[in-house]
Amino acid sequence: MTYEEYLDGRKVVLTVAPTGGVHGKDANPNVPEQPEEIAAEVRTCEERGAAIAHLHGRDEHGENSARRLQAVNDAVRDRCEDIVVQNTTGGQATYEERVQGIRTDPYPEMASLDMGPFNREQHIITEHNRHNIESLAEEMREKGIKPELECFNNGHLNEVHRLIETGLLEEPYYVNIIFGHGTFTMPSPENVLNMIRNLPEGAEFNLLAVGRHQLPLTTLSAIMGGHVRVGMEDNLYLERGVPVESNAQLVDRTANVLEGLGCELATPAEAREMLGIGGTKRAISG
Amino acid sequence: MTCPYLEYRDDDGELEFDHERPFCRAQESFVSPMRADICNDRYDFDHRDHCEVFRNAEDGEAATPLAEGQD
Repeated sequence: MTYEEYLDGRKVVLTVAPTGGVHGKDANPNVPEQPEEIAAEVRTCEERGAAIAHLHGRDEHGENSARRLQAVNDAVRDRCEDIVVQNTTGGQATYEERVQGIRTDPYPEMASLDMGPFNREQHIITEHNRHNIESLAEEMREKGIKPELECFNNGHLNEVHRLIETGLLEEPYYVNIIFGHGTFTMPSPENVLNMIRNLPEGAEFNLLAVGRHQLPLTTLSAIMGGHVRVGMEDNLYLERGVPVESNAQLVDRTANVLEGLGCELATPAEAREMLGIGGTKRAISG
Repeated sequence: MTCPYLEYRDDDGELEFDHERPFCRAQESFVSPMRADICNDRYDFDHRDHCEVFRNAEDGEAATPLAEGQD
């Protein structure tokens, strides 16, 4: 989690987020939505160096559906070698809908855990209060699912520190720092450094940034000893006016930059070891 | 109840898909997965309260296309 670790050649974990819950094919026809489509993209990204896949479910119309995560997980596991499955529990749906992300069979090895709400447009706010956050954290702990602690702004870092005090989390705490517009942390190198400075002891961090901030700020993350997330959930354009053709295109671009910096990408097995992922229990059917 | 301006279409004259997607007749465009929750009154959303496009259309005003948020 430091610049020295980067200099020492510590490996970088690359997460691909192929789909997300905001954009559909109407915004970019290359966004994968259906299970086989997502799985094919994830497999290509795994071949190019992605160790973790952050997954969302969509219904037959391309609309959000956490209940479709089972089909997405099955397709990804069928097609991929070893990539770590990370399901979302985020978004604007109710708790009972979102919790489906950690009730697949088998359970995912990881799941996102939003550390608080954020706004979208005029009337959308996500329902992530402390009660819901702790309930998800508790269920993840019982099932051996590693939470990725999503910090959409620096106030959410306070919530990470608070959640650690409850004893519901195990080291290394995996904190995802997020940069963008609205209620996200404002995207700038200074704010990245500030967020890193405020991380708890015993944390590993990942960085995601939306749109044109994706490449520069994820690069900074790697230099600061962090990990990176790329993909069409966060960025639909390769450059101004040039739509992304595939998630692999974004993975390749970042992998090439990191290679130029002397970074090596972690395999899924190495990512499990670095982030303390493991021990997921299988769902008991019936 | 869903928004009366919501339809499911596979093309809009410009974009064409092999499946039907949520389309807003008031705005004459497809809507994002995120906004479709409002169109369908899912969770605690109600298009009558939460959709400016619906309210503008009901008031007889020109529908203002909404910028999609990014994540």
